[in-house]
Amino acid sequence: MKKDSIFRPSTVLLEKGAEDTPTARRVLGNCPDIPRLTVSGRREVEERIAGVVDPVGEGKKVLFLSRHKGSFIKPCPCTARYIGCSYFIINSVLNCPLDCTYCILQLYLGGGPLTVFCNLERLWTEIDRLLAKTRGRPVRIGTGELSDSLALDHLTGASGELVAFFRQRPRAILELKTKTADLERLLRLRPAENVVVSWSLNPDAVVGQDEAGAPPVGARLEAAAEATRRGFPVGFHFDPLILFRGWEEAYGRLIDSLFRSVPARRIRWISLGSLRFPPALKGIIEARFPESRLVHAELVPGRDGKLRYFKPLRLELYRKIVALIRHAGGREIPLYFCMEDSEVWERVLKWRPRRKADVELSLSPRSVGSKSVP
Amino acid sequence: MKLETIRLNRINIRDERFRFSYFFDIASLARSVAATGLLNPPLLRAAGSRFVIVSGWKRVLACREAGVPEIPALVTDQTDDLKLFLAVVEENRWHRALSLMDKAEILKKLQAFGVGEKALVRDIMPALALPATASHLRRLGELARARRDVRRHAHEKEIPFSLLESFLRFGEADRSRLLAVLFPLGQNKQKELLDDLRGVVRRDGITVRRLLSGGAIGEALRSEALSPLQKAERVRGLLRKLRYPALSAQQEAFEAALRKLGRPAEIVIQPSPFFEDENVSISFRFKSAAELRDRLRKLERLASRPELLRLFRE
Repeated sequence: MKKDSIFRPSTVLLEKGAEDTPTARRVLGNCPDIPRLTVSGRREVEERIAGVVDPVGEGKKVLFLSRHKGSFIKPCPCTARYIGCSYFIINSVLNCPLDCTYCILQLYLGGGPLTVFCNLERLWTEIDRLLAKTRGRPVRIGTGELSDSLALDHLTGASGELVAFFRQRPRAILELKTKTADLERLLRLRPAENVVVSWSLNPDAVVGQDEAGAPPVGARLEAAAEATRRGFPVGFHFDPLILFRGWEEAYGRLIDSLFRSVPARRIRWISLGSLRFPPALKGIIEARFPESRLVHAELVPGRDGKLRYFKPLRLELYRKIVALIRHAGGREIPLYFCMEDSEVWERVLKWRPRRKADVELSLSPRSVGSKSVP
Repeated sequence: MKLETIRLNRINIRDERFRFSYFFDIASLARSVAATGLLNPPLLRAAGSRFVIVSGWKRVLACREAGVPEIPALVTDQTDDLKLFLAVVEENRWHRALSLMDKAEILKKLQAFGVGEKALVRDIMPALALPATASHLRRLGELARARRDVRRHAHEKEIPFSLLESFLRFGEADRSRLLAVLFPLGQNKQKELLDDLRGVVRRDGITVRRLLSGGAIGEALRSEALSPLQKAERVRGLLRKLRYPALSAQQEAFEAALRKLGRPAEIVIQPSPFFEDENVSISFRFKSAAELRDRLRKLERLASRPELLRLFRE
């Protein structure tokens, strides 16, 4: 993220009981001039947000410092009746200051506030418990499911704690998934082979129209190049792939640019997923982004009920993107699909995972699990 | 509150400050009033030398229609219009089902009485069984301000909010243009047609007017041979094809392949929903062992036809 677009909350709402944690102290220290208010809990925050025309947009402006009452770690739910990849998610932050048109959080979190959970001591225990339960196999885990992994790093400094913790646990692969380009804090850290920084990419035509608040893709690629120079492995997510007039050329240019910026050998994986969302999100997108054309594409209900591009269109899209990646220099990079079925895997990647563990194995090099990471 | 006899010409029916229902059948009540008189007096409030109707619009209008010169009426001495209006809403809420149109008018009137958006969302909308969000309030405000033909349609057809929301996304002129196409269809089809129309218009950057007047759609709408329902169905089908060209082409190809295959009438062959799965399904009915053997023989023959492969994605 460019310096001038770095997120600053309108208000910091501090839940009673969360103030006496290192994370809360760090955030408050980084927001000296931002109004703050102590609140009794989430309900009070949601009541403050409700009643405005755009509660989703309003929820993204306030920062709520809270204590997590449930589990920090969950298996990625993927989606019903499509192939998953055995990923685990860390929910230490809920919601995202970026405002992407297609983002599921608009529906999933509704008008919920941007929330940072401050009682991270429980998270470390949960991770170790997960690693004990999954002994003998690599575990991929990421913070970028219910938020952008790095969009609040300048306030929370969470990347420092995460990298330090995972460096000591080489069997686990931590993914920090982002659209941002300000890696100032992260790049000050000693890299770890099992901490992968990854970027969601789309051509600038999509970024400009449908990724409000996110930096241009060129800035993301510069950040990725810098991350590899500092020693971090990287990943990329072409997700959601969007069909629009001129998509082939636009994705072609983007992929060429990716491989000119980042050495292929440092790319740990690339995922592909096409635009998809529950039908209930359509109305939200239309209301919040009336100029967007995303929802007017040829989207039909999939097996899981979510709207997705009609399958022959998806197949064509994936074949083309895979060919572009392979041609541009990514012949050896593991590719995988997010929320696709075995027909897509077989027709595009020429192999059919029988279960999600097969996907996991294809993405986790044995070396990660078998030797200690410097 | 006093019961008085009031001459109708002293009631100012142009003052609609308390009115929130507009579309009702006056004629039948007028006949009843002419036959039996007015049994249930309306509620009035003095305004200068005349009266305004607080509650009982339909009754007063029916009496006018029936040519009754004077009526019994309850006259309130309450001068706080907001309190009066809230009381009337409350009373109506318990003795009849308020339509979405009524609710939209109630919210509009309350705003006119100075009730703020937040209070409407927080206190009034839940009481009216409406989702308590500012965006719902805004949409209902648009409905209350819409042209009379649109409001009448919304009221008479009891349009649900989801359909209304879709409809109100079109401009004022387009709404009136669309009423004739929508009117003959059921609500699900209306929603589908509106979604498809909006999708095509937004995707292709053309106007509703141009889309509805040109090509096969324009021809269908101008046709004198088609009934309103046939026109609406024709337009719906044509819009679907425009909105989902690849899916429509695949459906047509599948149907052509079925024809080529020469499917026996007793056997139904269908693709997966929206062609999402590779497989197709076959179903048939039978009511005896002989019928089952017959179907199986036919299936056996089908399975050996090379045309069967055309049913699958290449």
